[in-house]
Amino acid sequence: MSERPTPDELAEAIEEFLASEILPTLDDHRLRFRTLVALNALGIVRRELSKLTPVDDAEQRELAARIRAGDVPTGTLARVKAEVAERLLIASPHYLDRYEGE
Amino acid sequence: MLGPISEPVLLPGGASKEAWAVDAAGEPLLVRRAGGGVIHRHTLSLRHEFEVLQAAHEAGVKVPRPITYIEDLEGREAFVMERLAGETIGRRIVRGPVPELLPVQMAEELAKIHALAPERLPFLEDATIERLVAELDEVGEPHPAIELGLWWLREQRPPKREPVVVHGDFRVGNLVVDESGLVGVLDWEFAHLDDPARDLAFGFVRAWRFGADDLRLGGIGAVEPYLERYNELTGFDVRPVELDYWELAGNVGWAIGCLTQAQRHLTGQDRSVELAILGRLGAEVEYEICHLLERQGVT
Repeated sequence: MSERPTPDELAEAIEEFLASEILPTLDDHRLRFRTLVALNALGIVRRELSKLTPVDDAEQRELAARIRAGDVPTGTLARVKAEVAERLLIASPHYLDRYEGE
Repeated sequence: MLGPISEPVLLPGGASKEAWAVDAAGEPLLVRRAGGGVIHRHTLSLRHEFEVLQAAHEAGVKVPRPITYIEDLEGREAFVMERLAGETIGRRIVRGPVPELLPVQMAEELAKIHALAPERLPFLEDATIERLVAELDEVGEPHPAIELGLWWLREQRPPKREPVVVHGDFRVGNLVVDESGLVGVLDWEFAHLDDPARDLAFGFVRAWRFGADDLRLGGIGAVEPYLERYNELTGFDVRPVELDYWELAGNVGWAIGCLTQAQRHLTGQDRSVELAILGRLGAEVEYEICHLLERQGVT
């Protein structure tokens, strides 16, 4: 399984937010219409996402289990840190700037 | 009777508890009421939180004056306390101007909190690393960075200190601050028994420096005057190496906290895009864990 929330779970959360929290507050006809169009577009995104193959996390599970068992050879931190940085490029790309100069 | 009562206004924020502002006979009050779910398995009930607030108030800790506990306020428990005037949004406090005395005042309040008698609050539990591990296992996702943090916490644990009553969430975002400095300490739901250095270092967690990363004490100041004042008042002689340890522990706790918050959304307990995204933003905290471990010489 890939990282949670998966891309589809995130799109679903946005969909629910728009449909149940935003839409009911809108009186403006044009904004209501465009929000409904946005929900349709999200539906397309979700159906596209459903065709992707889930990420295999077996390697991460194995690494996590080894560290839990106290098996932490030299180089483990460097590897883990690089992998977290990779995830950040998706989740929060500007975050790494905060470490410049440290 | 409290006299004429204004229409209650629900305040924004508060992931697991509702906060209602209401004025009774002109006095500003805050009603803290249980929300839908629980933020964390090991949080106090509102009844117990109210008791902690009472004990802190009696001991002269700067807190909102507790007024009354209500077992059933339209189906949920609640309590009423004074509504303090001042800034509570961490980001705005950090943006400044930061009151000059704030770091020392934080140390003074912690010294008073850590002197509270545990016998008075028999429901407070001990915190353990195992408890954190259990929470991570409940999430069920592999997170090697968090595992590395936990591994280091087990390996490097400083000599055990006598547990004291700790606030458990002592950071700038849980304070009320005005121009003169610290007005009150809020949000006691994470109170428990623990090493006093845990509370001292909790506010160092980078996520709670609100962007002012160069100021290790919650984005508002340097550690030295704060630690010095605390040690002077308590005689505990907490050493910087202990603060390093507990800063890492705070990050590990918050990294797991991000995952458990996202679980509230994913399991349907409390659907919210705000909770959902924490599942991904936890990567920021994991990166900080790696950064701190690197500084400790781990490779």
